[in-house]
Amino acid sequence: MTKTYTPAEPIWCAGCGDFGVQGAIEGAIAQLAIPKHDIIIMAGIGCSGTLQNNVGTYGYHALHGRVLPTSTGVAYANPELTVIAVGGDGDAFAIGAGHFIHTVKRNPNFVYIVMNNSVYGLTKGQDSPTMDAGAAHGIDATRLALSIPGASFIARGFSRWSRQLQELTVAAMEHVRAGRGFAFLEVLSPCVTYHDTYVTWEGMLENLDDDPTYDPTDLAAAFARGVALEAQGRMPAGVIFRSDGGAGRKIPPAMALQDIDPARHIDRYNDIMSSYAV
Amino acid sequence: MNVAIKPEPSGGQAAARRHFSDINVMVAGQGGDGSLTIASLLSALFAHRGFHLYSTSNIASRIKGGHAAAYLRASVKPSGCMGDVIDLLVAFDDEAVEIAAPAMAPDGIVVFDSSKGPPPTGVLADTIRVFEIPIGRLAVRDLRRDLLKNCIGFGVVTRILGIDDKDAEGSLRHRFRRIPEAAMETNIDAFRLGLANADENGLPAGDSPWTVDEGGREEHLMISGNEAFSFGFLVAGGRFYAGYPITPATEILTWLERRLPQFGGIAMQAEDELSAINLAIGAAMTGVRAMAGSSGPGFVLMQEGVSQLGSAEIPLVVVDCQRAGPSTGMPTKVEQNDIGTMISGDYPRVVLAPADQGDCFEMSIFATNLAQRIQGPVIAALDRALSQDSTTVKPFDLSGVELDTGKRLTPDEIAGLKEYRRYLITDDGVSPWAVPGTPGGENLVTGNERNEWGLVSAEPKNRKRMVEKRARKIESVRGDLPKGKRWGDADAAIGLLGFGTVGAVMERAAERLAKAGVEVQILQPRTLWPVLDETVEFIRARRRVYVIEHNAIGQLAHLVSGGGAPKERMVSILKFDGTPFRAVDLVDFILEQEASL
Repeated sequence: MTKTYTPAEPIWCAGCGDFGVQGAIEGAIAQLAIPKHDIIIMAGIGCSGTLQNNVGTYGYHALHGRVLPTSTGVAYANPELTVIAVGGDGDAFAIGAGHFIHTVKRNPNFVYIVMNNSVYGLTKGQDSPTMDAGAAHGIDATRLALSIPGASFIARGFSRWSRQLQELTVAAMEHVRAGRGFAFLEVLSPCVTYHDTYVTWEGMLENLDDDPTYDPTDLAAAFARGVALEAQGRMPAGVIFRSDGGAGRKIPPAMALQDIDPARHIDRYNDIMSSYAV
Repeated sequence: MNVAIKPEPSGGQAAARRHFSDINVMVAGQGGDGSLTIASLLSALFAHRGFHLYSTSNIASRIKGGHAAAYLRASVKPSGCMGDVIDLLVAFDDEAVEIAAPAMAPDGIVVFDSSKGPPPTGVLADTIRVFEIPIGRLAVRDLRRDLLKNCIGFGVVTRILGIDDKDAEGSLRHRFRRIPEAAMETNIDAFRLGLANADENGLPAGDSPWTVDEGGREEHLMISGNEAFSFGFLVAGGRFYAGYPITPATEILTWLERRLPQFGGIAMQAEDELSAINLAIGAAMTGVRAMAGSSGPGFVLMQEGVSQLGSAEIPLVVVDCQRAGPSTGMPTKVEQNDIGTMISGDYPRVVLAPADQGDCFEMSIFATNLAQRIQGPVIAALDRALSQDSTTVKPFDLSGVELDTGKRLTPDEIAGLKEYRRYLITDDGVSPWAVPGTPGGENLVTGNERNEWGLVSAEPKNRKRMVEKRARKIESVRGDLPKGKRWGDADAAIGLLGFGTVGAVMERAAERLAKAGVEVQILQPRTLWPVLDETVEFIRARRRVYVIEHNAIGQLAHLVSGGGAPKERMVSILKFDGTPFRAVDLVDFILEQEASL
């Protein structure tokens, strides 16, 4: 066995919601028995963007806001990997918001877990776009995702509801590993230092997974429920929407493993060159 | 020394019937109406005759309309750039005449589409012959299709050049060989209509005002820098490209979108350049050979990504097809103004500058291999002219291409290791690389400073060792970096220094400077960063070096003086009006300077 790096200890404050997310990811990896070398955790910048150091898989620390395009590049170039992108709400919905729209639309095969606490913790507590400010609600990214054609898996978990959070993480990873596309899992993950919302958020959540009448494959119903809950000052949790639209997509082999020896392709290269002959 | 050099009438002789071995043609009119196809028909004609070709265009940044001009230089000897003057102008409107007039050769010829009236008066020199032919009216009246102006005009032009009608028709048929039979015949009818009108306007067969040489060139490729660079990337095993549409880099995106999927790869059109470079970073991390590309404004947006490549040690080729800036600037105009951006930031990288269209192929392969070797960014500095202008180049040697995988570890090699550290400190600064998916290679890649294991560390001693390790990567490949192209007298006291598209112009200028008694040596660096010793030595060994570049502040001069070249020996020749240097510009300036010193 080759010795590799020793996973780091989390840098988070005691009680940080991100512990719950890390626990769910580790639990899901164990439950699905995926070898660690087949997983890469792609992390954004911020408190949440250190999770990749703690698990023992391949890890990448992306530029602030760019975890989605970077993960898309990984997922397209090596479809055999299980790609789990993680990051905060500033990373996802402020500096990287443009990429969120296009990633949902492209529907690449990877999991994206956003640890939403509505603040920038590392820089000491500034508001993020998901913060309620005065009369204006913060951005509800699950509904933003619902509005984008191509959305295939949208869920919300709560870091204190650890059993459901692991189930949602497993469901997201299974969605991705089946080639169905992009699995977006927002986790309400309170910042105990700058915005401790455990109690408030728990009171606001309605768990759709407990509602047998809720059909997560019905896009219109998913939207309507979100709007109705918001009007009551509440929000949905659980699997909000899932689609099998991407099922059965052919997963190509990893590009990096292809034979690129020029000699093997020389006839076709010559054909290209001859199209320029004068 | 006081020698006045007038623009050379390109290759012609001042006889009653001029005979050309080097001719410059301009076709101009409103963009998008197809009239500019005449230039490509002439290109095919001259190619068939064995000439070397250089073609460029001057277009507005809009889809249709606006004034547009296509230029073609056909010469028995390779030119690599346009000449000083226009010998033959095909003008579809008054504006074309007005734009071309200052550049027209005194004994040039103008074919003017007189459908809407005669050409503007008092614009052209009296010595220029003008043939007024209502090309547009003929197309509509006799053939019911305005688009057929191109073949009518082509017919007239072949009579000016003294091309045998059968040869001209053969060339036309060859050029259109892929179109349906009926369309072919319509085009031939238009061509013959052009010939008939030439007959009526003093251009009968067998009695042409001009004649042209036979070239005798062997088979070449007619290719642009963007095409050659894209092709080189493919041949070098490049399988992933990301970009955002931007002039003049878009052709790389479209070329690779067409070709990469045929080889199991992908070219992605990103939502912006921030995404493009990070898509490419993601792909590159998995071990696939990847590239991102853009031009000035987009290249600046990519800078954080480029610094990530340098810090996190990820191999990527980044191609910058420079255009006139700053900011949005002049998207369709040539400039070489991103050098400062390319070398900014305190991290190791290599900046390469292909010498010409053919070299774009070689340098693309070199860049793709080098990125793997140094596990970091390799930037290729192209410019609008090099990117988009096409010229004839020798066919590429595809059998000699070798791939260098650097210190990439195979799964077996990793399995044999006792331990694996992604950022292992080594003598050459390059750490063995395990890509994701390999058992035993698990590692953390980050742009943060980190220790050998990839765990974040701001510890001062570690920081210093890591910065020095990364810097050693460039020193370890310095000796292999591409040397510049040199021409001229090695002992000359005067030097010319310029990169990219300036190269061929310097070469043409040097030939004429030699005739005027000023011997020069030219160095066209192909590695801009690090500044190679050869560049510094070139300047140190000369009394004076003219540093010739397309920007306003002399970025190349700053670069090489920062690299140790003596400032006082350098004289900048700068052009930033959006038009390319002509050899005559350099010759005039240098002769005047040398005469006054």
